[in-house]
Amino acid sequence: MTGKQKKLVRLSACAALLCGALPMAGAMHIMEGFLPPRLCILWGAIALPFLIAGYFSIKRTVARDRRSVTLYAMAGAFIFVISSLKIPSVTGSCSHMTGTGLGALLFGPSAVSILGVIVLLFQAVLLAHGGLTTLGANTFSMAIAGPFVSFGVYKLCQKCKVNKMVSVFLAAALGDLLTYCVTSFQLAAAYPSATGGVLGSAVEFLGVFAPTQLPLAVLEGLLTVIVMIALESYARPELRAVGFEEA
Amino acid sequence: MQPSYGHGARSIDRLAYASGMGGWNPAFKTVLSLGTLIICLAADRPAVSAAVIASLAALQKFKGRLPLRDYLGLLRVPLVFLLLGGLAVACDLSPVPAGDWSLSLHWFYVCASADSVRFALALVLKALGAVSAMYLLALTTPACELVGVLQRAHLPMLLCELMYLIYRFAFVLLDTHDRMRGAAAARLGWRDFRTSCRSFGGTAGNLLVMSLRRSRAYYDAMAARGYDGGIRFLEEDKPFCRASALWTAVFWAALIALRLAAR
Repeated sequence: MTGKQKKLVRLSACAALLCGALPMAGAMHIMEGFLPPRLCILWGAIALPFLIAGYFSIKRTVARDRRSVTLYAMAGAFIFVISSLKIPSVTGSCSHMTGTGLGALLFGPSAVSILGVIVLLFQAVLLAHGGLTTLGANTFSMAIAGPFVSFGVYKLCQKCKVNKMVSVFLAAALGDLLTYCVTSFQLAAAYPSATGGVLGSAVEFLGVFAPTQLPLAVLEGLLTVIVMIALESYARPELRAVGFEEA
Repeated sequence: MQPSYGHGARSIDRLAYASGMGGWNPAFKTVLSLGTLIICLAADRPAVSAAVIASLAALQKFKGRLPLRDYLGLLRVPLVFLLLGGLAVACDLSPVPAGDWSLSLHWFYVCASADSVRFALALVLKALGAVSAMYLLALTTPACELVGVLQRAHLPMLLCELMYLIYRFAFVLLDTHDRMRGAAAARLGWRDFRTSCRSFGGTAGNLLVMSLRRSRAYYDAMAARGYDGGIRFLEEDKPFCRASALWTAVFWAALIALRLAAR
């Protein structure tokens, strides 16, 4: 080998080692500082109506039954813990679930929007995933768009009499995929490409994150199904208590 | 089993409680951190970003008494996102070769120009500056003090209460989950991919059942102590000193001057 070739091999080995050693933030949070201020405010404003609706929904439930405060808090903590756990993965890098699809199925999408924004804030300050100025954009993609789609898909599947576990899988996986698409679009809107504009840039962001996100969506669907099976076998009364109807 | 946390929730929380800047007024720290964050984003100049990164690292090292090793390790957390995102910003897809470098991928070309690479590098630097500003808050202020600040900023009581409870319960559930993980490990539950998926689903489902059962017990315990919809804490009095306000003003003025100079 010539000196140049040796250097190349060494460099690529370093790169591979670096990739292996890096902690992988699987659930695609937009990092602090990645969006220009204009868009931070815009996404925050878009997320706000959903959050206000969610707040009133929670407030109504709590006024009816004070006991639900700790229930909601536990649900929020559960989403936080689920989304911070390392999930089994084939490649050995560590990735995380979003957990909001499962939350939306169990607790309803409007409650998850409020719990989601609190969880995202804690993820920013406790896990350094996401950020303070990008909170609005992340809330929209993870706590609003994903859960609402998961919930919609699940209801649609129920209407069409699809097998329950298949519909849970579809709901969680599609919710995750949509979160990933919305995030890519948010990034593309901030940094449109020189030749293709926003759409061209969206394709780039989708392509760059696809290797981590596509397997993750399938895995999230599978794990949500396994969790659901576990809940159906051991915790029917609890499922009824949070309002998840039996089919 | 002593699980390794890496840079998980507990490590940042522990660092925040142990920080040398823990005695500073939390509202002041919030304003300092958010103000620096906004200046860094609005200025949008590599020089300002670099100044923010360097000065905040020095502040964490000397005032926060945070080992530089830990700090740099934490700055690595967002690196994967920054590298991938920066790659997407630097490169462009086009049907014909364009820019200064292009790589043929049969159907299309991946192109990059010196300008786009420079722009992507500036973006990564800006994001790192913003992350250090966020760390100034996250690594020096425990989350419950942060909720106290939000409460004083007139966030609805119900939300603050939920935040306090979620913060507390998250750590309770993390501990419970660690024990379940250990129990599964003792039964070779993470032996291969298939088994780990089963174990993960089982522990997660069990965790939900445990947490729902516990939530009732917690409510009863709170009600027995006179809970009426407000959780009141005895807060440490952390006075705000004028000198730090002066230093903050000087710091911000210097950053703005740098921005004007780097036009």
